[in-house]
Amino acid sequence: MQAYAAKLIDLIELKAENIAKQWADDVMKHNRTPSYHSLPKDMVIAQGINFYRLFRRMSLAENPYEEAKTFSWIYAENLYRKKIPLQEAIYALMLMRRNLWLYAEFQGTFVTALEKQQAVESLNRTILMFDYVSYQVTEKYQELTSGEVEKILHAVKTLMVKGCVGGEKSIYKLGLVTIFLIAAVILTYYYQSVLGTEVVFTHLFYLPIVWASVCWGRRGIYVAIFLAVLILTSHAIFLKGLPFSEDIIRALMFVVVGGVIGWLMEDIRKLKELFR
Amino acid sequence: MMKAFTAKLVDLTQNNAETIARQWAKDVKTNQKTYTYHEETEAKILLQAKYFYNNFQLMFFNESPYEQAKEIFDKYAEERYKEGIPLHEALYALILMRRHMWLYAEFQSLFNIEIDHRQAVESLSRTILMFDYIMYVVTRKFWKLMKLEWQAKENTE
Repeated sequence: MQAYAAKLIDLIELKAENIAKQWADDVMKHNRTPSYHSLPKDMVIAQGINFYRLFRRMSLAENPYEEAKTFSWIYAENLYRKKIPLQEAIYALMLMRRNLWLYAEFQGTFVTALEKQQAVESLNRTILMFDYVSYQVTEKYQELTSGEVEKILHAVKTLMVKGCVGGEKSIYKLGLVTIFLIAAVILTYYYQSVLGTEVVFTHLFYLPIVWASVCWGRRGIYVAIFLAVLILTSHAIFLKGLPFSEDIIRALMFVVVGGVIGWLMEDIRKLKELFR
Repeated sequence: MMKAFTAKLVDLTQNNAETIARQWAKDVKTNQKTYTYHEETEAKILLQAKYFYNNFQLMFFNESPYEQAKEIFDKYAEERYKEGIPLHEALYALILMRRHMWLYAEFQSLFNIEIDHRQAVESLSRTILMFDYIMYVVTRKFWKLMKLEWQAKENTE
């Protein structure tokens, strides 16, 4: 940074604590920063001091933008954890800049014409620093919020990535359900026609029912209906004389389970759209 | 005096909105901090800048610039949000708009004599104040929209 801003840097360095205290008084009662009103004052002052000290560090750094991150990221993380809304975090930064400038004006730092010229340059440097910091704070806030949302929905996301939702046209999924259905027809035929029994092999039918509903949402219910019709028809043909009631209950449960899972998966599908 | 001088800056911006907007568009389409803009057509992003520069003067001499900012920039924020521009980029695009306005004024030697520096400080301070309001309004609107979206996600879950 050129010499013209040295005066301001020196002032900030010397009076960082005083300016930070003024800023703390301001931010802790300003109507656009209500979340600050209940924060511990010492913590707020420390934040201010860190910001004002950044000014010299940025002026000495080869890459001021990178140097700004040493402040911005910590500032953003602290405020985010304290649930301060982003607009207030940004407005607090604006107040830091204003208080810095007010302090400089109050101290009569820039009085003569030459000093006024320096003031313009110093003001530009202050604004540049603020531009960097506000950009980085906003970016960090967004990173933290999306990270939190992702964490909350991690299980759902895993299901979406590993599971079926979305890839409706996959031939493998269709193939697997077809294999399940063929196996179901064979099992039904074997148990009811050959063995003539109602033994509870139908629990295995939940595999294709759940799979189809997970894969195709509400449309997966057709698999449940197919299997329900299968056991009822098979019962009517091969198990004449035995009561229907148990198979009717089984058939109903197929449709209910398939329907509920399909309905839930539709919501997950909507969620996936939001993720996109 | 200060008001007359600020008027000079506002007039200059208003009369050259198209030129300044084009310079901004060129910048925002290549700046690494606004990469979402790189894919947009120049015509589309020019509209943003023109909207900004044409409305900015309304704030400057308004008795309640903050209220005026809300009126103008709530809509601006909502549009950028719907276009899928991340907030930090939307804010940086605004920062670049301010810089280009100022650069143009400097290039036109608006503040070139000694006496003008005092007025430059005043004008610069006023411009910054307007921008503070704009950034606050835009951030608040974005944050509100983002929260609504997260709530929708959680409800869906």
